[in-house]
Amino acid sequence: MIFCLAQSVKSHGWLDNSLYFRSANLRCRFAAVMLFLILGVFSMLTAAYAQNAPQASEKGKEVYENSCAHCHGTEGRGDGSAAENLLPKPRDFTRGLYKIRSTETGELPTDQDLFDIITEGMPGSSMPPWDTALSANDRWEVVAYIKTFYDGFKEAETSPKQINLSGKVAYSEQSIETGKALYTELGCVECHGNIGRGDGTSAPDLTDEWGFQSWPANLTQGWNFRGGSDTEDIFKRFIGGLAGSAMPAFEGDSFPGFGLTAEESSRMTELDNKDEMTEAEEEESAQLYEKYDAAVDIALNLAEGTELSAEERQIYDDAMRVVYEKSWHLANYVKSLMPEKRPEPAIGNNVLRSQYVQSELPPMDDAAWGTLEARYFPLVGQIVIEPRQFNPTIDAVNVKSFYNDTEVAFLFTWDDRTHTTDETDEETGKTLEDALAVQFPVKVPQGPTAPKPYFLWGGRLPVYLWHWKASAPEQVTELTAKGINNAEAQAAQGELQVQSTYTNGQYKLWVKRALKTEDKKDLQLEPGVFVPIAFSAWDGANGDVDTKRVMTSWYTFVLEPVPSSKRFIYPPLIALLSVGFLFGLRAFVQRRNSEET
Amino acid sequence: MKSYLLANLAILLACCCVGTAFAADSGSGEKEMLVFPEAYKAMKVNNGGTISGVVKFEGDVPEKKALEITKDEKVCGADEKFDESLVVGEGNALKNTIVYLIDISAGKDFDKKAKIEIDQMGCKFTPHIQLVPVGARLTMLNSDKIMHNVHIFSKINKPVNKAQPKARRKMPLQAVKKAEGPVEVKCDVHGWMSAWISYVPHPYFAVTNEKGEFTLEDVPAGDYKLGYWHEACGTNSKAPVAVTVAAGGTVTQDFTLKLK
Repeated sequence: MIFCLAQSVKSHGWLDNSLYFRSANLRCRFAAVMLFLILGVFSMLTAAYAQNAPQASEKGKEVYENSCAHCHGTEGRGDGSAAENLLPKPRDFTRGLYKIRSTETGELPTDQDLFDIITEGMPGSSMPPWDTALSANDRWEVVAYIKTFYDGFKEAETSPKQINLSGKVAYSEQSIETGKALYTELGCVECHGNIGRGDGTSAPDLTDEWGFQSWPANLTQGWNFRGGSDTEDIFKRFIGGLAGSAMPAFEGDSFPGFGLTAEESSRMTELDNKDEMTEAEEEESAQLYEKYDAAVDIALNLAEGTELSAEERQIYDDAMRVVYEKSWHLANYVKSLMPEKRPEPAIGNNVLRSQYVQSELPPMDDAAWGTLEARYFPLVGQIVIEPRQFNPTIDAVNVKSFYNDTEVAFLFTWDDRTHTTDETDEETGKTLEDALAVQFPVKVPQGPTAPKPYFLWGGRLPVYLWHWKASAPEQVTELTAKGINNAEAQAAQGELQVQSTYTNGQYKLWVKRALKTEDKKDLQLEPGVFVPIAFSAWDGANGDVDTKRVMTSWYTFVLEPVPSSKRFIYPPLIALLSVGFLFGLRAFVQRRNSEET
Repeated sequence: MKSYLLANLAILLACCCVGTAFAADSGSGEKEMLVFPEAYKAMKVNNGGTISGVVKFEGDVPEKKALEITKDEKVCGADEKFDESLVVGEGNALKNTIVYLIDISAGKDFDKKAKIEIDQMGCKFTPHIQLVPVGARLTMLNSDKIMHNVHIFSKINKPVNKAQPKARRKMPLQAVKKAEGPVEVKCDVHGWMSAWISYVPHPYFAVTNEKGEFTLEDVPAGDYKLGYWHEACGTNSKAPVAVTVAAGGTVTQDFTLKLK
């Protein structure tokens, strides 16, 4: 019992030491409560502003210069002092191009759009939410002020045309299926990849309007969507495009077969794919194209400001109904690619627990891995030591583990849009490649207060590392490190078995090792002992090399002890003995009492 | 999510500390653009003159730069493609130079029957330079049967970034209202694809052919400023050439351009 207590204190001790994540978690809860309260209050305040920001004022300028100019620049050109290190780059307000809008392509955002972005921030970028740091009043002032950087706002004669959100198609298996077919037909795969991990063949070459690298979204990570990941958000981004980025708008007439019925549309494709057409078929195809062209013409007339006749209006409305319905299917499909919410980080009850099996440990492709739930380790850029990584492209590493009486196996998976094995960094001449390192202490700290090695690859206390590189996918090098720039390959190698794959934008790495090794520089493992674990990852295509990487602080991993069969013997035995003792005591007291009387 | 945002904030703060002055790119000034008259009136031109000439390149002709085809090789890589920002032909003839009248305020109307198209064929835009009258629709053709996206980097007119899926063989684009250009056209799917559009308010624009030749016809008699624009050689907007066109006459004006 005492042992158990000690163990639990010990395990909590580890968590206490993971100070950063613990406090972040606490702050998170606190912020959530505050947010709730504040929301309640300012929903009343904002009501007064309706849709429109106030006139630009000195106040807006002041707030902007205090809170926004560091990144966006005093003149709104997106060139503040911090901009150099950021990607995505801070918005240049002088062009009137805004990614996150509720409006159609080519339109300016509404004031509410701007207000919402400031309030909620842009996940996956450096734009934080300002809901607590700035009052609603101040945020509206800022909206008014940033509009002064682009004359188009002043010159606009009508309010921007908003995307029609009516006619939403409910989320269903069938809708997802339809959306999936459109995902291929419309060419989404080119950038976002076969199953949406942002690994399409065009992904590495995309730039934004200003010539900066612009990675396509990993559609399986909704929590990194700049403008939110509700089906409505996805729908709006798809129809309206992300102005200034490579993401095009799929407005009405971009759809093949615009203005045709579903049957006509598929017939047209069918005819198109024929090597040779009969005369009748030629005629039929020509008629379909004529109808198609006519509908496109109507859409363009409307866009250019021409009044439509009632008949034209009908054709246009019918065509748009089809387009919007398809778009909702597509939005539903994209929604289906991501988990409902971001996984919880592997702390608290979520620590990485290696599952005991009696048999051989399963190889990488074994179905047994499917029975385990992965633990999620979010990665952040290394910004302590030069060169730093301010713009991570790898979100997290997911880990599962099994062990038996002699060995332990891990399965690491992480998303990386590009498979980089040998690229040369233009600036430094260094070889860039994708890689992963798993970090343990050489010796498990004894007791909850005993210090762990420094999380950046150790210091005075050394760390033991498994270093895997994409250029040698069947090999993991064991390192001992006493600092991020002070790692050495161990003299004795080859104790690890390794398998790995890269498919559809995801790495899978499987590593197996004996629990106990002869090498004194190795970590020795035993069940029930909580072991610190940490990760580093490199995305070669993002310029990651050496200290420029993404990483985690210390987390915890344990070979989950097998509940001992002794639990069926000792506790009942103790209970029995206690009862026996009580009966004995009772008998003794009774006897003494009877003797006294 | 909050913890992630906090991490972001931390990064931001760190950036503020480390960040060095960000070199503002916009300091180098506006990109070299065409110059348009404030107003233009279309009228019937009788007995107009002609301005013609040849544009040549001066200097060492750089070697042709082959474009790297990184995807859809079957369609895109069938023949070798070269960077078209500088195409120098026989006798140093310079292709793809826009030659135009800067200050004409009245003259002939556009040829309404002319097709204004850019084809996407073999993952290349043809032509490399297209003149689009203000108020006319540019039609994008897709002869490749693969996905392209038409990304027009307008700054005065609404920028366009519109998908052209493989089944979309012909895609007309909305007409623009203002003269602008040249603006670049790119395809993000195939990053090497590049072309230029000029939205022009009058028809006195010409693009030089392989032989470097250009012709401006039906020019009303008068004095004009003759300008040029070339992607790699820049413009003469600050010091245009003065030409005098006589009724029914022909003026010859050649240019020799260097890399800017």
